[in-house]
Amino acid sequence: MTMRNTCRDDFPALRREIDGQPISYLDNGATTLKPRSVIQAVTDYYETNGANIHRGKHRLSEEASDAYEASRTVIARHISAAANEVVLLRNTSEALNLVAGGLGLDPDASIVGCLDAHHSQMLPWRRVGRLDLTRVDSHGRLDRDHFRELLRGRPKVVALTHCSNVTGVIHPVADLIAEVRAACDATIVLDAAQSLPHQRINVRELDVDFMAFSMHKMLGPTGVGCLFGRSELLAELRPLSVGGGMVDWVDLDGSVDRRIPFKFETGTPAIASIIGSAAAIRYLEALDGPQTHQHAQDLCAALVDGALARPRVNLIGPPDQTDRIALATLRLESAVPAGEVARLLSDSYGYMVRSGHMCAQPLVTELAGGETLRVSAYLYNEVSEIEGFYQALDELLSWMAPVAVAARR
Amino acid sequence: MTDSIMFDAVREEIAYAFDRTVFFREHMEANGLRPDDIRDAADFRRIPPTSKVHYRRNFPAGVLAKGYTLNSPNVMRFQSSGTSGDRLNSAILSFDLARRQATAIGVNRRFDELWRPGSRPRICRFAPPNCSDVECATGFSTLADRTLPDGTLVLTVAHDLLATPEWQIVKALDEIEVYQPDMLVVDPTHFAFLTRWARRLGRRITSPRTLHMVCGYTLMTRVARRQIEAFMGADLPIGDMIGMSELGYLGFECHHGQRHINNRDFYVEFVRDGTPVEDGETGELYVTTVDDGLVPRIRYATGDYFTPLTSACACGSDLPLVRIEGRATHMIRLADGRTVTPGAVDAVIGDAPWIDVYKLEQDRSGACTFRYVANDTAQAADATALELRLTEALAPNRVHLEAVDYIATERSGKFQPCISHISAEGA
Repeated sequence: MTMRNTCRDDFPALRREIDGQPISYLDNGATTLKPRSVIQAVTDYYETNGANIHRGKHRLSEEASDAYEASRTVIARHISAAANEVVLLRNTSEALNLVAGGLGLDPDASIVGCLDAHHSQMLPWRRVGRLDLTRVDSHGRLDRDHFRELLRGRPKVVALTHCSNVTGVIHPVADLIAEVRAACDATIVLDAAQSLPHQRINVRELDVDFMAFSMHKMLGPTGVGCLFGRSELLAELRPLSVGGGMVDWVDLDGSVDRRIPFKFETGTPAIASIIGSAAAIRYLEALDGPQTHQHAQDLCAALVDGALARPRVNLIGPPDQTDRIALATLRLESAVPAGEVARLLSDSYGYMVRSGHMCAQPLVTELAGGETLRVSAYLYNEVSEIEGFYQALDELLSWMAPVAVAARR
Repeated sequence: MTDSIMFDAVREEIAYAFDRTVFFREHMEANGLRPDDIRDAADFRRIPPTSKVHYRRNFPAGVLAKGYTLNSPNVMRFQSSGTSGDRLNSAILSFDLARRQATAIGVNRRFDELWRPGSRPRICRFAPPNCSDVECATGFSTLADRTLPDGTLVLTVAHDLLATPEWQIVKALDEIEVYQPDMLVVDPTHFAFLTRWARRLGRRITSPRTLHMVCGYTLMTRVARRQIEAFMGADLPIGDMIGMSELGYLGFECHHGQRHINNRDFYVEFVRDGTPVEDGETGELYVTTVDDGLVPRIRYATGDYFTPLTSACACGSDLPLVRIEGRATHMIRLADGRTVTPGAVDAVIGDAPWIDVYKLEQDRSGACTFRYVANDTAQAADATALELRLTEALAPNRVHLEAVDYIATERSGKFQPCISHISAEGA
């Protein structure tokens, strides 16, 4: 049995049939399916423990706290960070909001962002400062000259997107960060939600100040977002919310925050999901190797080539496979509603793909002019699924073709 | 149309569906049948019923007749959340829809003046948002955004009906005023909600044209109808539509308040356990389309239950009378083996002037909870009396009454007055 087939067997949701038809899950940019080991880790916590963490001396609480903190260590090690540099939150959006809200920026502070940012890496910065967006070219690659020009304004923050959830482009963040360091002393905040599921990142080597990502996009449970922050910067960051669990001492006059990362983790966290996140990372790391990387490239090639071979669809993103993940966003002919196509692909053919503006409306409006269809593959997908998707799309578009007359009988 | 002429039309439809659609040909062949095998009604019943699942999975490639595409002239496409979330994608020819509508509404003389040569009624729709093929749930869309190709204006309403904010209600009321409709096509529970708000805001719902109202989407409860009639006045013609998104008008309420089934544009059967029911017995409606060039359906099991009635109606229509019983997935299953339909539950509750809205829910254990939002006129004895009636109707199962100020709408946007988790899970 091949590695890919073995891998598919690990994902119970892939066995599901709807209306007697197998499904093909190609919406991995939104979230990924969960392998059995992750489901089991979550279930084990509820079946054998279920206690709260950190605030109890009893046996179950201590076991839960140990498992929770061990998960933090697994996550930190995965990105080459120290455990106290990883804040466990709900999602990438919360992580980015925490940084934006916690830096104490002046309202007129200059912030450089990217046009292809997800709304989560755009709106928090727009709220706290003066955000300028780096342009992209018609294929979604960053306009490096414009980026350098914006850096000359000596921004306080540079908010980078590692990989666009619309074009699939992986930006050369190491080069960009080097340029920022050379040009100014801006705080560098990286959205790695779409990139980390596909490649390892070493935050030390990358020299990034903050980095946010979500476990659910890399096989983990929903409800866990992670913020890496260099310890000295995290220590200066103002917590977004206050309450139980993030203080060492409270009296009538004030309170003393806990050390990092705990001062950012108010209230009871998603304990089971965080324990499941460690299982997801172990699963990913076990698969990490040339075979998986080659498979990702094969999926990417199938997506890109399939789009380029079809005159009735327009690929939003580079017409090549260099520096991109296995994701293709398609603009259909103007008379063909993407939402309706997505629904029919699902209900009639079993292909689960996404439609709309992908939470990156400025970019989608700029490059596509309207709603799009996004197909995003992951390690459990097969090239044959991509081929099947395009065949289904061809058939569907043929049914949506205009005709002059239709008569019966 | 005589029975034999109608059956000839059915045979022609079978031959057409067999010849022009992949799905139906395979369906027949899988059961060892060809169109020539169907010579009479008994032969006809050898064709296993078709269902929404078949038409959803095979749409469009397997069920659209050869020669058509989704962009052919007069093809109207739509997506629906379906009842209880059983979603559907389909298409219908606009003239088939109009033909079925005309036949059905033709039973009600109070709607006659709506159809004048050369004019098209201006229609406003106030219904569950997922039933619309435009985005009307957020309320941020413009009036133009929510105007369908046929001119129908879809009014804005939240998915969770009772949580619709005041500004969105005001917007709907304002747009009715601006649009000046001839006809309101509404979900009655939704419209009753709108009338309560209009009363509270001191607003009226009127049009300089003569307003008519068609109710559909969910069971028209007596409670909702009472509120609509009280607010809109006796002059408003109200008709309860029997319909499905994929088929259009299957029947309508006549001016004598009786429901007539459209057996002119459809060959209808009422079936229980695979055999036709006698008049007066409840069965599932199967329909076979007649002269549907686009998506011919043969023995299409609707999931809706009716009781065919023998009596003639004083309205003069020759379309047969039926009593609406409700969806199979909404039937209350009792421990003694009996089934109580949503229609029967509604009859027990009656027009209940002290209730604004209600929902009876049967949980997996079989117990029933009747939640209701009472109004200012409620007396303590009202709930007690209703509890007695419901307990008697639903015995031996337990019934519990709960006065609330909010009842959630299901995710589909539909507010079903009677649901059963037992029936839904058994579907």
